[in-house]
Amino acid sequence: MTIRNADEKPGREELVFMMGQFAAKFPVDRCYAKNHMWAQSAGEGKPFRFGFSAYAVRLLQDVYFLEWTVDAGAMLREKQAIGAIESSKAESELYAPMAGRLVEFNENLLSDPAGINVDPYGEGWLFAMEGAGESLLSPEEYLVHLAASWAVAERTIKGQINEG
Amino acid sequence: MAKKVTVVISQGQSANPVKRKLEEDLVAALLFERGVEVTVIPHLYDLAPEGTGMLCLQSIAGDVVVLSWLYPRAARWTLDRNGIRGRVGKVLLESEAADEDEEDEAADDGDKPRVADSLPAPNRTIYCIDLRARNEVEPFVEEIRRIWAEASMQTVGIDLLGWIQGAPKPEQLGRYLNPGPANVDAPPANAQPAASGPVLFSPFTLQPIEPASGDKQLNGAAPKGSQPNGSAPASSEPADGAPAGPVRVEEATGRRWYPVIDYSRCTNCLECLDFCLFGVYGVGGSETILVEQPDNCRKGCPACSRVCPENAIIFPQHKTPAIAGSPEGSAGALKIDLSKLFGAPDAMEVAVLERDVELVAVGRDAVGATVGIPKRQSQKDHGPKDELDSLMDQLDSLDL
Repeated sequence: MTIRNADEKPGREELVFMMGQFAAKFPVDRCYAKNHMWAQSAGEGKPFRFGFSAYAVRLLQDVYFLEWTVDAGAMLREKQAIGAIESSKAESELYAPMAGRLVEFNENLLSDPAGINVDPYGEGWLFAMEGAGESLLSPEEYLVHLAASWAVAERTIKGQINEG
Repeated sequence: MAKKVTVVISQGQSANPVKRKLEEDLVAALLFERGVEVTVIPHLYDLAPEGTGMLCLQSIAGDVVVLSWLYPRAARWTLDRNGIRGRVGKVLLESEAADEDEEDEAADDGDKPRVADSLPAPNRTIYCIDLRARNEVEPFVEEIRRIWAEASMQTVGIDLLGWIQGAPKPEQLGRYLNPGPANVDAPPANAQPAASGPVLFSPFTLQPIEPASGDKQLNGAAPKGSQPNGSAPASSEPADGAPAGPVRVEEATGRRWYPVIDYSRCTNCLECLDFCLFGVYGVGGSETILVEQPDNCRKGCPACSRVCPENAIIFPQHKTPAIAGSPEGSAGALKIDLSKLFGAPDAMEVAVLERDVELVAVGRDAVGATVGIPKRQSQKDHGPKDELDSLMDQLDSLDL
């Protein structure tokens, strides 16, 4: 596991976390949630846009199917179940990254969720939420969280593969 | 000597035309199958405990194949709760996604005593088949033929062994010397030419009633409670070899919602009894947990099943396959479930929230985690932790 500043692209600062051989990159212009989503607000008091971090996308790989079980406008608790995702390798329920009101979903993904893989930090955003966002982490905090949980994540994945 | 197998088709809850078509195509296809009697009932899970449908099912003797829009475990234990019990028949037809061998019942955890261990199964076999396993009729018919052959072989085998070993039972001798209508293996000798139309049950008795005009004469109506030849009371096998009509049970059912306990998993720990605050659970004569007041259950709430340490509580209509009674490891077994890594709350947190929602809905106070939360945390440390335990502990402590 390495944490370093990626200096190849000076215009866009990012942190790197090594998932085995894979270098997952995390732009520093946004916050992160513990459930491996990034959050970016256009300004004080404006909604946060959420998407999957490179870590989540790497775990999922090619996304086949994305479904939301709540409607835009819904008030959500943190960790409330809001949908499900299925990819070539994995499936997961999805949970609210923070408490607040869900403003809108990225409609483009509903017809073709592959946008998540193509541009996870941009066009592949998932939804927007209003909320205080006090539980969100800075990029550095998120990397510490990743480092602390990577061993377990690895074992979860390998364990399930071995069982299957 | 053809043995008889009763095939029960449990209809879907909705009038979904695709489902109805599969059901009716099956009825039609099975009419021409040797040794098969067809009974059509409304959705098994929705049948009232003392209703016509359950009474009809209870009156069926001998081997039964139950086809329903339910996971086989859910169907099996719904039947069990209503006194329709038997050995578990091995069904080879499974949904294509779940093809891998999942001998979940017999596998692992041989250490803990299960409630089912103390309940000997009656000498008959019940095969539960999920109608969602295939979209066409043929695979189901093939599987039923296979089951029929298997069932016929068993009887012959047992009977013959008795003979060969020189120990025929009196009934066996009688059957040999006096083949007749009381004989399980022989078709009823007194069968009259019968209608091929449906046989209807009136709502409150088990006697077949005259179907609407257009259908022909009915077979002799068996009085309530008598099933001498091991089939449904209204067996209408004609003598001329023409197909018998299916038995159709008409019962007005509403949608129900209640837990079904899988006693092959249940260890009688009674945590569900402590957790549920709506009085659904009770303890039976032999100190065994049972669903005492199913209709006290709160529609849509699966909280107790999340609390159950053995995943023994099934809500057949819940959207999560594991709660609805899917076979262990199926339903996407080939894919990795990342929910825990992607922030899934602890099952207990969810259960407490779900229960609070239902409490508030009936005007009671939310209790949070203060009431009926399993003492299992305090007891769990007995016995060495296995690898999975430690992994789960780590996951929990990490607050992912």
